[in-house]
Amino acid sequence: MTAPKAVNPGRRKFTTGVAVAAVAPTMFWIKKAAAAEQVIVRTPGGVFDDVKKETIYDPFRKETGIEVVPVAATTAKLMAMMKSGQNELDLIDTGDSTLLELEKSNYLMPINYDEFKYTNPADIDPVVKRKYQVGCFIYAMVLGFNTKAIPVGTEPKSWAEFWDLKKFPGRRTLPDMASGTPSLEFALIADGVPMDKLYPLDIDRAFKSMSRIRSAIPKFWDTGALSSTMLADNEVSMGALWSTRAAVAIDQGAPLGIQWNQNALLAQAYGIPVGAKNLANAKKFIDYSSTPEAQARWLAKYKAIPVNTKAYGATSRDLIDPATKTPWTKSKGFLLDINWWADNRQKVGQYWSKWIIG
Amino acid sequence: MKGVASGQGKGAIELRQITKRYGKERVVDAVSTTIAPGEFFSLLGPSGSGKTTTLMMIAGFADVDEGQVLVDGTDIVDVPPQRRGFGMVFQNYAIFPHLNVFDNVAFPLRARKLPNDQIQERVQQALELVRLERFADRFSRQLSGGQQQRVAIARAIVFQPSVVLMDEPLGALDKNLRYQMQVEIKEIQQRLGMTVVYVTHDQEEAMNMSDRIAIMNNGRIEQVGRPTDIYENPASNFIARFLGEANLIEGTIEEVREDVAVLCTAGGLQLRARADGNVQPGARAHLFVRPERVTIVRARGGIAADPAINHATGRLAQTSFLGNILRHVVEIEPGIRVTVDVQNASGGLFRAVDETALLSWRAADSVILQR
Amino acid sequence: MTVKKSRKFSDATVFILPAVLLLALVFVGPLIWFFIQALASVGTPAEMLSYAWTIITSKAVVTALMTTNWISLMVTLLVLLISYPLACYLANNQGMRFTLVLFCIVVPYFTSIIVRTYSWMVLLGRNGIINQVLLYLGVINEPLALLYTKTGILIGMVYVLLPYMVLTLFATMKAIDPSLMRAARGLGASGFYAFTRIYFPLSVHGVVSGSLIVFILSIGFFITPALMGGPSDVMIAMLIERSVEIMFDWSGAAIMSLLLLFATLVLYGIYYRVTDVRRMMGA
Repeated sequence: MTAPKAVNPGRRKFTTGVAVAAVAPTMFWIKKAAAAEQVIVRTPGGVFDDVKKETIYDPFRKETGIEVVPVAATTAKLMAMMKSGQNELDLIDTGDSTLLELEKSNYLMPINYDEFKYTNPADIDPVVKRKYQVGCFIYAMVLGFNTKAIPVGTEPKSWAEFWDLKKFPGRRTLPDMASGTPSLEFALIADGVPMDKLYPLDIDRAFKSMSRIRSAIPKFWDTGALSSTMLADNEVSMGALWSTRAAVAIDQGAPLGIQWNQNALLAQAYGIPVGAKNLANAKKFIDYSSTPEAQARWLAKYKAIPVNTKAYGATSRDLIDPATKTPWTKSKGFLLDINWWADNRQKVGQYWSKWIIG
Repeated sequence: MKGVASGQGKGAIELRQITKRYGKERVVDAVSTTIAPGEFFSLLGPSGSGKTTTLMMIAGFADVDEGQVLVDGTDIVDVPPQRRGFGMVFQNYAIFPHLNVFDNVAFPLRARKLPNDQIQERVQQALELVRLERFADRFSRQLSGGQQQRVAIARAIVFQPSVVLMDEPLGALDKNLRYQMQVEIKEIQQRLGMTVVYVTHDQEEAMNMSDRIAIMNNGRIEQVGRPTDIYENPASNFIARFLGEANLIEGTIEEVREDVAVLCTAGGLQLRARADGNVQPGARAHLFVRPERVTIVRARGGIAADPAINHATGRLAQTSFLGNILRHVVEIEPGIRVTVDVQNASGGLFRAVDETALLSWRAADSVILQR
Repeated sequence: MTVKKSRKFSDATVFILPAVLLLALVFVGPLIWFFIQALASVGTPAEMLSYAWTIITSKAVVTALMTTNWISLMVTLLVLLISYPLACYLANNQGMRFTLVLFCIVVPYFTSIIVRTYSWMVLLGRNGIINQVLLYLGVINEPLALLYTKTGILIGMVYVLLPYMVLTLFATMKAIDPSLMRAARGLGASGFYAFTRIYFPLSVHGVVSGSLIVFILSIGFFITPALMGGPSDVMIAMLIERSVEIMFDWSGAAIMSLLLLFATLVLYGIYYRVTDVRRMMGA
């Protein structure tokens, strides 16, 4: 299937009508909030917000008098909002890939690290310190397994072993295209590509590699919740999933183990949308929440790796490689190249659609 | 009409102490009666009297809690309705709306798996009988109420049942049409010689059509008899009132001689009436007389003392014009009013209200009622 | 003149006018605008058509359409088979029984579809309750693949769509005069004969309209097949969602949506005819 070139301009132009309809409920929600000093943040919602409210939003309000108003929005809604010029947000807290998409459409303002007052910019991990976005926490796509099916220590130690159906029979799961990033990197590593020579990804080779274990995959997961549920229920005995999801399940008592070798580093990040009405507040919030104290307070409760290297000491020990005293992502991982994905996601998607129906 | 004629001599129904309970209430309470083959038998009563439930027990749609239903000597209590072989006509006709007239009438025959040529013939005959042969292709929504009624009748008789049960079949029709249909149903019944058990709350309808009527009240049959018998000799105040207008004059029995009793009102007026052997002196009772049996004249002194005639004088309290009848209400004593109906023949003029009137009627036209 | 006008507005249509306007304003308008914009961005009408043709004839879309139709058809049949006796029961019972059964059918719908779908996953999984019971009873030797298969999708969707059919059938059956069945039996028909010749024909409009409603809802289904289906069980709505959420391909999504909308409108047209006929029949 060959899509005409005209598709790309189509993505740029936009549909005010739809966007207004999509955004309208959000506006009602915001109007209800207190009119005083505030910063309106798009967040993933749910438990994530509950923890963050306690450890960051509330202390931030006490410190600055600024109210944090969390708002839920899907990626498509964010795009619609921005493209129609109906932005009501001051800050976007989402995955680094999504922020990159917004950045490429010129919907983000640069992060002005010089203006930081609470945080020393030099302390921020350089891999997430980007021009238009700054990480709020680091996590990884890891190899997870059900410890009842595979006792700790006997799990696959690499993606090559994960791909070895003879040595490790049993059902597996990998992320679906609908999750945004299917595990092409892991497929290539399993096929012998070194971790530092992955990009640009050889799409064809990656899919051929995935075909080798396709028969052992009853379900590709599209939402994080599904990945940990399938592992916890022993619906599959191993899989690639987000470390944060695995950690939440482990905290709830699920029999899950993590093998950190060859993990793919991902970041949740902040970006400031063009047209933010409380710009100063948004900047202040980024600054404040990047301090070692705020990061430590928050990430002691939410198991992710801080972006502020000064907060490693307070990080959950599960996330630190005892051999190097640094986070696993540094010692055993590679950085997932969101730029490559932004440029190639549609191509991969079309490949995926054909591949998945066999 | 040989094709549609029912078997003569079949269709005898006997109810033996049949009872239906809903919770503690006995909606039909030990009802017994016999219905002869070819008889037109009506169950008449106010709503809630148990008449429809009785019919449904005969039809098999309501379980019989106690007692037996015999048809031609066989107990059918455990036979499901579709195998009882009765024709049925329902209150709202229950014409199948997705079938045309022909298919509606053919339904009982097809359910009995008759061959097609026989179905054709019998449906044709049944439709001729109810004068609907030109409407075979119509659907119920294209028919008038009377026509729908005829379809329901054709459907009930097409398979030549010896018994047809009818549940207030004319209830939805207007008054004029109802009378016409009464005549038609009666005619068909007589022609085919089938037994009809007919439920109605309309006493005129029952009297017009029935060979015999059973009057039901509170789950029991209060009286069974030919229409004239029940009209002339009601067994109770309830029946007297239910079957048309009735005067019921309260008093105490003073004396009983042979089959004539003397009733004395509170005001001392002595009236004579027929009485059965159960009437004893000293008992409280009512004297019953129909309004059309009472004559009214202007009071004019001397009355001949004839024990066969009852007399009473009173004040004319009220008059009403009912078309063929002029109704007069005369107060003969405080609290006792007698209604007098006079045919609106030439000269049958109203008396003036408050005028004194003299009433008279034959003792033979009045009955002592103790219930 | 004024009299005429006021009479015109006293008509009942005036009451639905706000609803129609609101719908036009927040739904129909933006929808048309969306399609025009998304498609116009592709280029000239010729380019647009060739692009649309590429998408519609692509293997992914064709397969998704086939999967969608097959699943929707099976779901409709299964829903009908289960709903018919249920609706029949509801239409012929009152009081506690009616309330209880209706409660069981309707109440789950007050919880979110995601929660309900996850509950099914707990029941149907390889280590789920159903497989464990069957294994324990020795009915099966190894777990049945109930989840992440077409079977899983069917179970999940049938459950979600059941009330639409039950309530549609119930409305039709409730309108069937109960004395008709009584008449049929009184006139000598067995229960089965009365059902096939009287009850079923009279309920057939409900069957057709219920089936159309369920089918229309099925072809647009997304969450249940995404969560409970296998990797290759891709329905058209899932493709649309992925185009919008992951690939930001709004033009492609618009074309697939138009396809779905067209199919839905055709089916709705049939539905409209059927309900119209029913009104004529007065049943």
